[in-house]
Amino acid sequence: LIMKESSLKLVSSEQALKELGLNEHQLRFTCRVALQDPYSDSETLHRVYTHLKSLLKGYTIQHLPDGTVMVESIVIKVSSSAEDANAKILLLSWSYQDEDLGSFLSSVLKKGLPSGLPKM
Amino acid sequence: MEEPPVAPKPLLSGAVPLEAFLATLQKHGITEVKVEETAEGHILHLQAEDTLIQLEEDGTHIVCDNNEPLRTTLRDLVLRFLQKL
Repeated sequence: LIMKESSLKLVSSEQALKELGLNEHQLRFTCRVALQDPYSDSETLHRVYTHLKSLLKGYTIQHLPDGTVMVESIVIKVSSSAEDANAKILLLSWSYQDEDLGSFLSSVLKKGLPSGLPKM
Repeated sequence: MEEPPVAPKPLLSGAVPLEAFLATLQKHGITEVKVEETAEGHILHLQAEDTLIQLEEDGTHIVCDNNEPLRTTLRDLVLRFLQKL
């Protein structure tokens, strides 16, 4: 809600920033989550997808062809260490606006993946 | 089944001034900071915490391990310099 020339109007927060002549500051987080998973990176990513899909109902969860999983706007990628292919690093990235969901997902994935997940 | 909380956060405005931010980090015991200048701003390498903070005029990116207390501390220190809308 902003007041301009003595009249009130309801606009989106993005529009309000613009009208007030302010710049938006994007605050992002990328969190590294270590995971032991004896599969290839793409299989691990698929297991992450399956796990989150079964855990979170009512959320948009996508496994994209570019090798990322997205939960709403939270991006998840997998990489593995050169020395130990089973030592995976999950990279979770989110913006401050999605703080609660991003923080929740990082705590969920910190617990690891359940053993009963299908490989592919 | 676990349900995440969903409360969208406000938009942020402003910028994080390098010197003042470094002083704030120092006050919070984060003293080993290597500062690198980039075309768009600065990258702060918090050596003991193995964390990177990219400071730019219109954005801040915090890259750290899954260490929630550290991440939320850094988040709150950054938020001190920004206006919420």
